[in-house]
Amino acid sequence: MDKRSAKILVFSTEKISDPAIDMAGLLKLHYPPQVFTISVRCSSGIKPKWILRAFEKGFDGVFIAADGSDCSYGESCTEKTGVIVEKTHIMMKEMGLEPSRLRMAALCSVCSEAFVKQIKSFTELLLKQEN
Amino acid sequence: MEKKLGIYICACGGNISDYVDIEKVKDAIKDEDCVILAKTTMFACGDSNQKDMDADIKANDLSGIVVASCSPKLHLTTFRGVSERAGLNKYNYVHANIREQASWAHSDNKTGATEKAILLVKAAIAKARLAEPLVPFKIKSQRSVAVIGAGVAGLKAAIALSRMNDEVFLIERESKIGGKLHDLDTISPEQISGKELLSRLEEDLKKEKNIILLTNSEVVGNSGNIGDFTLTLKISGSKGETTKEIKVGSVLVATGFNSYIPADGEFGFNQIANVITLPQFRDILRNADSKKFVLNGKEINSVAYIYCVGSRQVKGENKYCSRYCCTAAVQASLDLKKKYPDIQNYHFTKGVRTYGKQELIYKESNRVGDIYIQFLDKKPPIVTELDGAISIKAGDLLSEKKEIEALADLVVLVTGMVPDKDPSVGSLFKLPKGRDKFFNEIHMKLRPVETVIDGITIAGTCQGPKNVMESVNSALSAAAKSHSFVSKGELELEPIVAYADKSSCNWCNACSDACPFNAISKIEAEGKEVASINKSTCKGCGMCLPVCPTDSIELISFTNKEMESMIDVLAQ
Amino acid sequence: MQKEPINLSFDALVIGGGIAGGEAALNLANNGYKVILIEKRLSLGGKMIMLSKVFPTLDCSACITTPKVSEISRHPNITIFTESDLTSIEKTGEKNFIAKVTRRPRYVIAEDCTACQLCEQACPVIVKDQFQYNLVGRKAVYIPFSIASPKVAAIDIENCSLCGACEKVCPPGCIDFTQEPREYIIHAQTAIVATGFRLYDPTNVPRYSYGEARNVITSMQMERLLAPTRPFHTILRSSDGKVPDKIAYVLCAGSRDDSMGNPICSQICCMYSIKQAQLLMGALPMADITLYYIDIRAFGKGYDEFYEQAVGMGVRFVKGKVGRITEKENGNLTLRYEDIATGKLKESEHDLVVLSVGVKPNSEPADIFTSHKLELDSLKFVKQSDPLLSPAKTTIEGVFVAGTATGPKDIPDSILSAGAASSEAISYLNQ
Repeated sequence: MDKRSAKILVFSTEKISDPAIDMAGLLKLHYPPQVFTISVRCSSGIKPKWILRAFEKGFDGVFIAADGSDCSYGESCTEKTGVIVEKTHIMMKEMGLEPSRLRMAALCSVCSEAFVKQIKSFTELLLKQEN
Repeated sequence: MEKKLGIYICACGGNISDYVDIEKVKDAIKDEDCVILAKTTMFACGDSNQKDMDADIKANDLSGIVVASCSPKLHLTTFRGVSERAGLNKYNYVHANIREQASWAHSDNKTGATEKAILLVKAAIAKARLAEPLVPFKIKSQRSVAVIGAGVAGLKAAIALSRMNDEVFLIERESKIGGKLHDLDTISPEQISGKELLSRLEEDLKKEKNIILLTNSEVVGNSGNIGDFTLTLKISGSKGETTKEIKVGSVLVATGFNSYIPADGEFGFNQIANVITLPQFRDILRNADSKKFVLNGKEINSVAYIYCVGSRQVKGENKYCSRYCCTAAVQASLDLKKKYPDIQNYHFTKGVRTYGKQELIYKESNRVGDIYIQFLDKKPPIVTELDGAISIKAGDLLSEKKEIEALADLVVLVTGMVPDKDPSVGSLFKLPKGRDKFFNEIHMKLRPVETVIDGITIAGTCQGPKNVMESVNSALSAAAKSHSFVSKGELELEPIVAYADKSSCNWCNACSDACPFNAISKIEAEGKEVASINKSTCKGCGMCLPVCPTDSIELISFTNKEMESMIDVLAQ
Repeated sequence: MQKEPINLSFDALVIGGGIAGGEAALNLANNGYKVILIEKRLSLGGKMIMLSKVFPTLDCSACITTPKVSEISRHPNITIFTESDLTSIEKTGEKNFIAKVTRRPRYVIAEDCTACQLCEQACPVIVKDQFQYNLVGRKAVYIPFSIASPKVAAIDIENCSLCGACEKVCPPGCIDFTQEPREYIIHAQTAIVATGFRLYDPTNVPRYSYGEARNVITSMQMERLLAPTRPFHTILRSSDGKVPDKIAYVLCAGSRDDSMGNPICSQICCMYSIKQAQLLMGALPMADITLYYIDIRAFGKGYDEFYEQAVGMGVRFVKGKVGRITEKENGNLTLRYEDIATGKLKESEHDLVVLSVGVKPNSEPADIFTSHKLELDSLKFVKQSDPLLSPAKTTIEGVFVAGTATGPKDIPDSILSAGAASSEAISYLNQ
């Protein structure tokens, strides 16, 4: 696989950010193929241990495509996802992992360009850290 | 018992196979654990492949299938149906999206796309190995529909639902019904006014016994699910505000549009007298003296129309075409001409879009001598005051891009449609919006009136610009869809809910605090206090999962085992 | 020999198995009504199933049509008659329609055919393939196209030499030359007309040289060249198999012109031409593609953005009306057109010309109603008796209309109008 790219796991939500990521494909807004998506129901249901598992198994970065204010399960979603990220960041520090390897951003259902931009800048950051 | 999996990799008639080497994918996964059959197919969703899958499942006694094709948004239900018909529990089918997330996203990198597709299919296989058969919950459905908005779309939808014997709550925030019909004059193709249309609708409405009309009413609260929504309404009356709760099985949103309001100074708007918008023009024309057309003390002998104001913007945000306005403006100019035959009309357009039969109106306009100028994006019209008249200058595509100047006594800005300025309904129901900020349907062709929120349909111009006939078509379609949600009296709900492990749980409140739906309560079990999750109120969001200090909560089909096995595979 | 016609009863009769008729049938069936769907051709799916991809999402058309068609064909509430002619419908009272239907023989026992195509290989007769718009040939026994539904062979008896080669190779022995037309009397409570449109025939305009110049094709032929199930698996021009690199589109070929017999705009041609241009840019990255247009009518949701995307990709848009197309010796074409931007007459050379043909009415449905008159409008489309408030109503109560039978429509609008027709039909059944 291309050495010049970073391996990223994206947690994305079935109803909101999945459609945005799918649309990025539809519009052929290219991003590195080392980016993999796992769908969840809501970004505030991601367990920190899953994120840590991804790092342990070799992912360079984890990106949480949060629902933001569009979440169909309630207003508290963004805040709760933020808490998960915060908690995981602390655990990462304790384990000697650079916290910036976990990133979160809110994506709406048509935020395809935003997704690709985020992934590209995240990839750059991860590659810079590697060097 | 060991799972027996069948894997189907779709070529999508080249959409996938042009970029992903599907034979290579098949070879890479055919020896995975539990895989006893792996095939490539031209169209996985096609009838012949569906028949093959059915036969394969039966012949090989498969206990799970994976289809690697397009986004599950398109064909999840298709393949769940195939599984069920073949006697396989539909939750034993797992989907891998190798089109939107591999072949198309990485069409610039065929090797990368193929390698990614292999891992995506392997991850789906990992999940399929662990997938459990599930039984959907059945719930009783309310045989009633809430229609929000009583413009032409909402009214037609309500009448149609009532005629299909559903109970209807027609909710309108204004004191009167009819919405924008009040502002419309001649509506093509019938040459009938909005007022006349409305009075016909009012007659129809009176005959319907199943409709409860609630004016001065706003929806302020929403809870529940498809089949059983509870809406809270705020109703303003002479004695102040009251609230009311209604129960409905489906919600049909028909909240309409607003007309674009130009910024101060946009083509002279609010700065030059006699520069007005199309809705203002129609209003003035309707009430104008029949002999002489006078506005702001000036007799009007010539009118210039500037099209695409607030639509197809080069600099602004509204990139979309508002669809209805070309015909509406040409029609209004014909109405003017009919009343005052000597007035000269000048149309400054970006190309006239009187599509379909509406072309006949454009032909008529040309016949009566209206002048059309097609301006260039680089040289949009400049509107200035000149010796008591208004000058409009623009580069004209139709005459060698020369600058053309017209003098007019009145300038009409042909304003487009923008989404309703009141965001409350959209945010209350969490309706996703498109790039144009109108509400988004699931799929323009497969499910054009449904939203990602189960049980909520959209009709009319809240989905995007439409003329009256198109709004009515979409309203009747949405009514048929909402009717199908409530007509059977029973609905299936996805059994994707959370459950707590009583042996490791030591009640601490964190999960019940996190749950937005009050689905978690404390019970006594195994001699201690533990959490219990109510299956019928849990919506499966998973917010309780990460807050549990003992990791005692799992979400069905998103369990630790399933998630971790997928992560492990993708990390390879 | 069949002596007596077979009597069958349904709630609803849907005429036409294209995307609009199919959608209307599904809506009714999903609400519990029994539906019969009559299609005159060998396969469901109408014109949409023949398309390559659809605007503005570029979803492949088959990906949307085939699962719908598959859902229709296995729905327990829907009975399908393909290769059938509806010869008359009589309304004998409210909610009482009697239709006469003839099922033409396929000369193949549909239930036993496995679509193995051995018969096709054995057949010695080659004729033009109407499903590929005559771009290629087919045999006298043939499966209409690869995603046809039902996917069952049929014998084109007009061209069959009765040699029996197919009969000898057919593994299940399902070739049956003794089949005869079967007559049915269908009773239904409501009817939906979804008979679609006809494509404009460009031979009506001799100056376009269609049918004479070998490299002038219609947009529907281009759809087939671009489709996943396409005949050549690449884009070739028919005269010499050369891959074209300078392609012209002539828009409004058979639209917006009284002299061509069609005063109205066909509503779909701008967008499908822009779509084909984008697909061609993908398939032939080096090719120049020019669209000669009068006005670009990109009015639907996401359409104008799709048009701007094509401009951004480098598709050339020339505002001009094409007068004459002449063929050169090497097969290239000279286009004479009025360049509206300069007001001058100009000429340009292209190696392939695509005529973006328009939508013409299909007036067949008017003739089948016997007791009541199904009126047509001045353009010969099915007349809408209440176009603004009940667009699906016709001049016969209880008969509704869906899709392009009332005028040009794109796919989303056809599907919405089918939804409206089924909603009106359910209301009528509930009366």
